[in-house]
Amino acid sequence: MAFSSLFFMFLFLPVCIGVYFLANSKYRNAILIVFSLIFYAWGDPIYIWLLLLVSCLNYLFGKMITYGNGGAPKFGLVLGLVVNIGLLVSVKYTGFLVENINSLFNADFAVPKFHLPLGLSFFTFRAISYLVDCHWGKIKAERSLSTFLLYMTLFPITTQGPIVRYETIALQLHSRNTTVVDFSEGLGRIVIGLAKKVLIADQLGTIVDQFLSSGGLENQSVLGAWYGVIMYALQIYFDFSGYSDMAIGMGRIFGFKFDENFRYPFVCKDVTEFWQRWHISLGTFFRDYVLYMPIFGKRRKFGGLFLVWICTGLWHGASWNFLIWGLYYGIFLAIEMMIGKKIMKKIPMAVRHIYNKLVIAVGFCIFYFTDLSEMGTCLKSMFFMGSGSFTDPLLASSFKSNFILIIAAIIGCFPIFANIKKKMLLVKDKNTYMVVQSFGTLLLVALLVLSGIFLVNATNRPFLYLQF
Amino acid sequence: MTHEDIMERLTEVFREVFDDDSININNRTTANDIEEWDSLEHINLIEAVEKEFSMRFQMREVSGMKDVGEMADIIAERAGSGTKKKKGFFKK
Repeated sequence: MAFSSLFFMFLFLPVCIGVYFLANSKYRNAILIVFSLIFYAWGDPIYIWLLLLVSCLNYLFGKMITYGNGGAPKFGLVLGLVVNIGLLVSVKYTGFLVENINSLFNADFAVPKFHLPLGLSFFTFRAISYLVDCHWGKIKAERSLSTFLLYMTLFPITTQGPIVRYETIALQLHSRNTTVVDFSEGLGRIVIGLAKKVLIADQLGTIVDQFLSSGGLENQSVLGAWYGVIMYALQIYFDFSGYSDMAIGMGRIFGFKFDENFRYPFVCKDVTEFWQRWHISLGTFFRDYVLYMPIFGKRRKFGGLFLVWICTGLWHGASWNFLIWGLYYGIFLAIEMMIGKKIMKKIPMAVRHIYNKLVIAVGFCIFYFTDLSEMGTCLKSMFFMGSGSFTDPLLASSFKSNFILIIAAIIGCFPIFANIKKKMLLVKDKNTYMVVQSFGTLLLVALLVLSGIFLVNATNRPFLYLQF
Repeated sequence: MTHEDIMERLTEVFREVFDDDSININNRTTANDIEEWDSLEHINLIEAVEKEFSMRFQMREVSGMKDVGEMADIIAERAGSGTKKKKGFFKK
């Protein structure tokens, strides 16, 4: 069940919160586990057994690494990495491999078809970070199976991240409390996330479908292609950061403090900075567990960088466009690294913004099209090599009828509201403070009601990152 | 090599890497104290420090160092000892 469904928002979550806070605090972990398992089984009744099995195995591996004697720690680590990475690779990439072998050698091996277990890429990555941190001695393995199960199944983060490290919430898994501020800010985050998803991302999605779908792509105008790609960039930002807001908000209600996953990525001054602000939990995962892998000897600076970007690409899916997309970003990051910050800083700010927004837009175009020939068509249109004209009437009418949505989306990409709120709350005057607070609450209620209305009227769109 | 020697040489490396002669580091310095110090500059920094002291950091150390003091301790433990430990992901 999606966070952005009526059932989840107005039944599952309120019931879960109600039961959680009515119960004695010693039962709260158990309650969260039960609700998490129901949540998972709702979306994936088959692979819930896999999630449970993987959780139990990783629990054992962790214990071997921290508390084992002799060769047990190393054995536990190697076996753990093989199991997690093996599972991820075999389920996610076998079909892709077989398809490519077939087309390469004209062979006809059967392409295995299974649906991806819900959240596989996210929970295996959490398990890997846990095992490696145990091995490095950063953390001690969790002694209680139920506590570890909570870490692995916790429903706000299981299916779509953020990839929360065990280290971050280790203490909270054992004991935590929710203050009134946590509760109200958590609720606020959930409403904001829901509104981002329902009111903005899903509406942008309709435009994206219209402009980038295979039907109209062939004769797409130059501006039409750019428009479609930029709307897609905005859609995926509001979709995924909205989801992360909801996850972080739910975490706070239950007393967990997850790290932020997005920090207004589009304000970035270069491509490197974009990635320090976009899907942060994935970036830091690769930084800590892949970037410095000692397999490149003296060439580790660029070797590590490319390994990270190949992995980032492939992590998003078994498809050539994701690999190209990863390498594309790897190249720009390497170039920026070679130029160096010293010189980058001397480039006029306007030029830097135009450069990075162009790179990012083209990046989203590569990301969107799993079909390489469609990607080529779209890129050609964008760079004046397509068969379409420069602009078209469809674009003008779409822009006109979605004007408010687009303006809202662009404003929402920048920390304007956050800054206003911060400034207002600095005012010492009690009355001003009260007015700001009530205005904020009213705004949230309005957003919630509006999102509810939209949800009743719309067919549900799943969150985009559910497919990865 | 004393701790002071290491810190002195480290200061030079930091100034070189971050291109800022006003940088002064102490044991408590972290990435938060130096504006330029992000994950990509960290690669350059690690490379420069390894070159300066002819040693290699292990993967665990690179991602686990909490502050400059910890970095200096690792350097003191390893640099100039002559024993080149084989580095690997599985080495503890």
